[in-house]
Amino acid sequence: MRKTFAEFVAVDDVDLAIPSGSFFSILGPSGCGKTTLLRMIAGFLQPTSGDILIKGHSVLDVPPNKRAVNMVFQHLALFPMMNVAENVGYGLRRRGMPREDIAKKVEDALVRVGLPGSGTKRISQISGGQKQRVAIARCLVLDPDVLLLDEPLGALDLKLREHMKVELKKLQHEFETTFIYITHDQSEALVMSDRVAVMNAGRFEQVGPAQELYYQPKTIFVAEFVGDSNKWRGRVAAIDQNRVTVTTAQSGRISGVAAGPCSIGDDVEVFVRPEAVALSRDGSALQTMANHMDGEVVSVLFNGAASRLLVRARETGDEIDVALPQTGEFNDLQAGQSVSFGWSDAQTKCFVIG
Amino acid sequence: MMTLHRSLRDERVWSFALVAPALLTVGLLFIYPLGFSAVSAFSAEEEGGWTFANFIKAFDLYSNDILFTVVIVSLSTVLIGVFAIAIGGYLTLGENLYAVAILKWLYRWPLFIPFIVAAQLMRTFLAKNGLMNNLIVGSGLLEPLQTQSFLDWRGIVITFVWKQTPFVALLVAGAMASLDRSMIESARNLGAGRLRILIEIILPQVRPTIVVALILSFVVMMSVLSVPIMINAQTPTMLTVDMAFRINAYGDYGVANALGFISYLMTGVVAWIYLRHGVRQGGSP
Repeated sequence: MRKTFAEFVAVDDVDLAIPSGSFFSILGPSGCGKTTLLRMIAGFLQPTSGDILIKGHSVLDVPPNKRAVNMVFQHLALFPMMNVAENVGYGLRRRGMPREDIAKKVEDALVRVGLPGSGTKRISQISGGQKQRVAIARCLVLDPDVLLLDEPLGALDLKLREHMKVELKKLQHEFETTFIYITHDQSEALVMSDRVAVMNAGRFEQVGPAQELYYQPKTIFVAEFVGDSNKWRGRVAAIDQNRVTVTTAQSGRISGVAAGPCSIGDDVEVFVRPEAVALSRDGSALQTMANHMDGEVVSVLFNGAASRLLVRARETGDEIDVALPQTGEFNDLQAGQSVSFGWSDAQTKCFVIG
Repeated sequence: MMTLHRSLRDERVWSFALVAPALLTVGLLFIYPLGFSAVSAFSAEEEGGWTFANFIKAFDLYSNDILFTVVIVSLSTVLIGVFAIAIGGYLTLGENLYAVAILKWLYRWPLFIPFIVAAQLMRTFLAKNGLMNNLIVGSGLLEPLQTQSFLDWRGIVITFVWKQTPFVALLVAGAMASLDRSMIESARNLGAGRLRILIEIILPQVRPTIVVALILSFVVMMSVLSVPIMINAQTPTMLTVDMAFRINAYGDYGVANALGFISYLMTGVVAWIYLRHGVRQGGSP
C-alpha cells in the first residue's frame, strides 16, 4: 500500500499480512505514517495505490460504515450525550437489531469488559480506565473482523496505562479478535503484541515478535528506537567470520557481531544494551569478556528495578549506561567510585551506516 | 484598620468609575428609551394617568398584524434553522471538497448586504415580471400569464431566510467544526450514515449554539422595517410597519408604543428561553 499527500509520501509501499486472531502492533515515532495506515484500513482514507484484503476480500470499495473493522480512537470518542449502554449499543442499533437483543448484548459486553451494571451511567460519571473499556466494548460488541486501536492508552496516567496493557491483552485473548494497535510507546507494543512492525518514514523497518526486534534488530533505526542502547560510531578494523572489531572515534576497540554484510574500513554504528553490560569491583573477573574496561561511576540513576549507572570509561572517556544489577551487591555504589565493566561480543550489534 | 477601609473604598470607587461609561451608555440608550416607551404605552396622552386604551386600540386595529408577525417570524426562524443546519452539516460532513469550498465561499455573502438592499434585490427578483419569473418563462416551465408575484408574505419569509441564514449558519458551522472530529468518524465507523451522524451525533452537541443563533435571528427579524414595507405593501403586514404608520400618519405615539410593547413581549418570551438556556449551560448564554 502507498499513500501520498501531494508530494509527501505518508505510507511508502507497505506490505504486510496479519494472522487472524493475533495482536499486531505498529510501532513508530510521531509522523511516521502509522495513523495514516490505520485510517486506510478503517476506510477513512483511500490508498493512492495498493489493496487491503480482509479475510481474502478487497475492502477498498467498502465505505467505513460498512467495513467489518472497528476502531478505538486515541481520545476514545465516546458520545457524551448518551449513557454507557447507549454508547455500547450504538453500532447494534445502526444494524437494526431488536431492542431486547441489543440490551442483552450490551450487558454481556459490559460484563466481559468488567463493567457489569454500568449501562445507565453517564460518560462523565466514569473513570478514564472505564471509558477505555466502554470504547472497546462498543467496538467488540459488533464482533468485527479487525479491531483497530489508535494509541488508546495515551491519555491515561502511568499506573492505569500499565494496568490497561494487561487488560487489553486479556480482552484480545478472550474475544479472539484480530487487534491492530498503533503506538509510539515501545513498552505498550512489546508487552501486548504477538508481532510488532517498526515503522519509520512511511516504511516498515522490521516486522517480527517483540523478542526478535529487541535482541536481533535488523536496522540502525530499530536498534535505536526499540529499547535503550549505548551507541558508538566507528570503523571496521578487522573481520573474523561475522565477528568484527571496530575502532571508535575515541580510539577504543569494540568487538561485536555484524548485523549485515560489511567490509574492513566501513563506517559503522555499534549498539549495546545497558542490561548486557556486566559490572564488577574486581577488573580481573571480566577479563574473559570480549569487551572489558575500567571506569568511574559518574552518577547513580535510581529508579527501583530499572535503576541505572552512568559510568565513564577510564581509557576512552566514553560514558556508558549500565543497568544496575538487583542482586544487592552494588547497592552501596556511589558517584566517583571505581568499577570494571564488560560485555560479550555476541551482544554487540554493528550496523554499516548508509 | 482605617487604612484597610480606605483601600477597600478606593477600590470600589475605581471599579465603579471603570464600569460607569458602559452603565451610562446602557442606561441612556437602552433602559431610558425602553422604559419611556413602556410608560407611554400605558399613559393617556391627553387626559394623563394610566390606561389600557392604547392596547385596546392596537388590538382592535392590528390583531391580524400581530398574528401575521408571529407567524412570519416563527416560520422564517424554522426555515433559517433548517437551512443553517443543512449548510453547517454539509460543510462538516461533505466529502466533495470542491463543493464544500464553493459553499463555504458563497453562503456568507448575504451577511454583508443590509436588509434594505436585500429587500430591493428581492423586489426585482420576486416580482411578477421579476428575474425569477423571467428565468422560469425563459426556460419554458411556465407561460407569462401563469406566473405570479411573490411580493407578499412569501417574499418577506424568503428575504428573511436569505438574509439571516448565513448568520445562523456561520455560528452553527463554527460550532460543528469545533467538535471532536474523531467522534464523527467514530459514529461512521460504528455504521452511521452522514445524515444520521448529523441528527444523532452533531446536532445534540451544537444545540445550544443553534438555539442562541435562532433566538438572535428572531429578535432581529422582529425589528426589521424595510423588508415588510418594501416587499409586502398590503395588509396584513408586520408590526414594525404599523408602528411607523401610527407615528408618521397620525403622530400616535401611544398606540405605536403599545405595539412596541407587544413586540417586547414577543421577544421577551424568546429572551426568556435564551436566558433559561444560558442558566442551564452554567450561566454563560
